[in-house]
This record gives sequence, C-alpha cells and structure tokens, in this order.
Amino acid sequence: MSTISIEHLSKSYGKFLAVDDVTIEIPTGSVFGLLGPNGAGKTTTFKCLLGLARTSSGVVRFDGNELTPALFESISYVPERSVLYEWMNGAEHLEMQRRTFKRYDSKRATQLMDLFKLDPRKRVRAMSKGMRTALAIVMAFAINPETLVLDEPTSGLDPVNQRAVLNLIIESAAQGATIVLSSHQIGQVERAADHLAVLQNGRVILSGAVDDLKSDRKIVEGIFPSETIALDGLRRDARIERLDQSGRILRLTVTADGGGLAEALSSMGAQSVRIVDLNLEDIFLNAVSPGSQTADVVEAR
Amino acid sequence: MPAIFTVDPRSGVPIYLQLIEQVKRSVALGVLAPGEQLPTVKQLAVDLTVNPNTVARAYRDLEHDAVIETAPGRGSFVRADGVAKQTRAATDVAGEAVTQAVREAKSLGLPAAGVRELFESALTRWFPEEK
Repeated sequence: MSTISIEHLSKSYGKFLAVDDVTIEIPTGSVFGLLGPNGAGKTTTFKCLLGLARTSSGVVRFDGNELTPALFESISYVPERSVLYEWMNGAEHLEMQRRTFKRYDSKRATQLMDLFKLDPRKRVRAMSKGMRTALAIVMAFAINPETLVLDEPTSGLDPVNQRAVLNLIIESAAQGATIVLSSHQIGQVERAADHLAVLQNGRVILSGAVDDLKSDRKIVEGIFPSETIALDGLRRDARIERLDQSGRILRLTVTADGGGLAEALSSMGAQSVRIVDLNLEDIFLNAVSPGSQTADVVEAR
Repeated sequence: MPAIFTVDPRSGVPIYLQLIEQVKRSVALGVLAPGEQLPTVKQLAVDLTVNPNTVARAYRDLEHDAVIETAPGRGSFVRADGVAKQTRAATDVAGEAVTQAVREAKSLGLPAAGVRELFESALTRWFPEEK
C-alpha cells in the first residue's frame, strides 16, 4: 500500500512535450481516475510512473521512496495495448505470472477465469479483443496487487464484463489497494473513482475529489424581464467561472453551491432562477473545451 | 440484506450526499429501525458498484449527524436514541423537499401568495383531520 506522488513530471519525445509539469498525489487506498482526450499524455504518465519510460524531469515516489524492484512484486500494470503472446494460451500466461510473482494466487486465478468465462486452453491468436482484455485483467488481479495501474481496462468488453471489472476494482480498493485507471468512459470513473485528474496537452487542467468537484460546480440560470441586465456586480464575483447571456437568459457557471448566487439573481430582478447540477461529463467537457457546452449562448457584450 | 439504497452516479448530486439522504429517509420512515445494522462499507460499495471511500465518507457524515454509530469490529448501526433523531432526520428530508418545491414554483414565475395557496391546499388534502 502506498501513496503515489508524481512531482513536476515532464516527458518529451524529441521536441514533443508529451507530459508537461504534472503534479498528482494518489492517496493510499484510493481509486484515481485519469481522464483526458486522446493524446493528452495519460499513457506516458503511466509509463513514467512505473519507470517504463525515463522522465525528462520530475520524480515519482511511492510512500516517499523511489520505485524499487521489490515494489514491482506488488504492482500490476494493464497497458492500453495488450502485451499478450499470440502463440500462448490463457493457462500459459497464468503460469508466467505464477513464476514471476510470489503473490500469485492460483485459486483466485481460476475464479477470475471463470468470472470472465475464459477457456484456459484457448490461444491468444484465437481470442477476440474483449477476451484479450479480460485475460490481461485476470493476470493483473491474480497476484492480489497492492497497486494497480490500469490503462483503459474495459476496452472491448461487453457491459456485463465491464461491470465485473469495476467490481474487481472496487473490491480491491475496499481491501486497501491503490488503483490508478484511465478510461474514456466517464461513467465508469464516476462510479469507481474517488479522485481524478483531467489531462490535456500534457498538463493537468482539473483535479480533485470526484464528489467535491460535483458539489463545487453548478450552473445558476436566471430569466430576466428584459435583455438589459446589470452585470457589473457579477463580473467581479470570484465564484463565477463563466458568464453567458443570451437575450433575457443569464447563465452562470459557478464554483460554489449556487444558493448564494441564485438569491443574488433573484434580488437583481430575475423572474425565474434555477440551479442545475453538473455531472462529471459536463465538468469534463467544460474543462477540456470551455464553451462547447453552451455554444448556443453568446457572451454578453 | 436487500439493497435498500440506490444511487445514480451520473447525477450531478455527489454520491455520498445521495447515500446520506437515503439513509436519513430510511431511518425517518422506519425502514431502518433503531439498532439495525447497516451493510459494511465494502458490502455496500460492491452492491452499488461505487467507490468504497465514498461510502465511508457518507457513513462518517451520518455518524457526525448522530444518525448512525459505528462499533469498531462490529459494524455500523442506526442509533437507538429514539424518536427525536428520527424526527430530525424526517425534518431534514422533508425540509429539503419543501425548499426544492418552493424554488421550483418561484422559478416558474408564481408569486409568494400563489405558492402559499398551493401549500395550504396540499395541507388540507393530506391533513384533513386537522381542519
């Protein structure tokens, strides 16, 4: 079990800066979701975290220490692109895990193979994308790891098996494992993760506890009797992240619970005020492409 | 224990708040009786497929609000200190519902007098004996 600290991590490939001064702390026992558009730097961050790519600058610490070979014994990594051997079958892959990891649990491995209905005699060559993902998951969880790094762990899986993977993640977390995962399925991160960071162009553009991010972001919308709305007081309000006016409708994206600003709009003469909760997808889209969500609304003059 | 709680992870309402609201409602309605044991954090997390730390956070807040108590090694239980707590839980839940209804009515453009009228007629309907 360890707290993983990524401190000022940068990684460039030639002139291309894939990861740019990323600082993230992943608390022990948490499920940490790394979100971001394709090419944002998620996989590079994982590789640097595990020492599989040399960092250009910055450090990664596990409970304050650098990664040691001994620590590797308790870490499972499921890379985005499967590293399975085409000519080997499932049983042979598990045998490989058994020889590599002291913590390997053969009973657990059998249960997991059954859970995903995998035939141990089937060669990888003959497996579908989903079966390959499932085998990689079985290999990862069969060693009862204390740290799991999962890069798109549900890609190619059907909804039943996706849910099975989420439940494995949740059970491991309940037993104290620290889990970092990336996923394009925001709904999965919304369920399984307690903390998250959003990467874009190699930089962290948003991070925090999932529930806090939701509590702290609302849209407050007011409908006014005319298009002339006195906005001067609002423009200086630090709680307001965005301000959009479209005719008689004023929409504020706020980093507060919204109640105070709803009352402010009321006292400014709004006939109708409502507070809209933002889910993680809204918050994510707002962070990676501000404005796209409310593209129909023009910025006030 | 059947899954008496449900959460909507896609909602903008934080999952831990959804859980707190439901436990309070269940206590208020007597679905959870005083002294009754709640599922463990791990069990509830797995049942609902949500993060265990999120469930733990809800339980901590419920303990802080004196709705439940946790005995180390034994689990979490609905507090047995009687009707007062349940009534308070009921007031919390109902208060939130009334606040939302009033906000909604206002945002639809109703004047205060109109909202009061609606409230009075709802009272008459549901508390006929007090008329």
